Amino acid sequence: MATTTAAITLTSADLLTDALSLSATNTLYKAGTTVGLDQTTGMTKAYLTATQNIDIFPTLIEGSMAFAGKSSWVYVCNKSEDETEYATITISGNIIGKLYAGDYLWMPWSQSEDADSDNLHGDIELAPSVATGMWFEWCMINEGTEYPDAV
Amino acid sequence: MATITAALTVNSDITDYGLQINNTMTMSKSGATTGLNRTSGLQRVYLTDRKHVDLLVGGSGTVADMTLTASAKVYIKYIESDTSKYVTIGLGNANNDVNLTQKANDSNGNFFELGRLYGDEWMIIPWSGTSATGDITVHPSVATSADKAIVEYIVFFED
Repeated sequence: MATTTAAITLTSADLLTDALSLSATNTLYKAGTTVGLDQTTGMTKAYLTATQNIDIFPTLIEGSMAFAGKSSWVYVCNKSEDETEYATITISGNIIGKLYAGDYLWMPWSQSEDADSDNLHGDIELAPSVATGMWFEWCMINEGTEYPDAV
Repeated sequence: MATITAALTVNSDITDYGLQINNTMTMSKSGATTGLNRTSGLQRVYLTDRKHVDLLVGGSGTVADMTLTASAKVYIKYIESDTSKYVTIGLGNANNDVNLTQKANDSNGNFFELGRLYGDEWMIIPWSGTSATGDITVHPSVATSADKAIVEYIVFFED
């Protein structure tokens, strides 16, 4: 069984009158268990040269891995060093937020499959703000990956 | 100008070669190197039933002064030692239904599920806080008056 731990420390010495320091650590388990997550996409490093919205986990089958109540954790980082460059992160076609240069997100992904055929599904999407080239990294640690059949 | 940092460390033996993430971000205002200057402060919410409710509404409550669609970061943690329990985090309008089964949705203005935080798990995401589809919602799998679901959050934003 794999063991994956995630830790975060939020700090600021000057946002408030007193220093802010908050730390949290947890182990990543399969949904509802104490069994560790055992699969990963590995870390992707991508250079995107268009502002087109893209799926960042395109090989995974909708309705299987991400949509079956399983546990998945997603990391996305905007590696740009230009503070004006950002990526808009959306899920199911709706905006979560913008990752500016150096920003990252760390979030669970276990979206239910859409009940309505005309609606979008739970793809995690990324759209660079410029087409002049931006570097990104992303990774998922999860359970239950299913891959599409070759065509 | 305030300096707020978030240091993330992920360590795993999930592959024979290991997997590590070590990254620290400094939270800046949109398109600037100026630090975010506002916060909701660390908030703790006690949920006593299984209703699907808004945890955060852009430009309202503890984040009333935030500039929508600008730069903001949200940290959320489910305070629970039992890893079989979870809270479902969504975006959009909560409708306060009981035992609601959340479904993905498009731009109809309804909610859609982002993911689940099981006991002791936490997350950090950027947040636009846009209206209709931008509320951050929470829906506990277990919550009663005797067994409350406890969620902590803090928002950093620009005014």
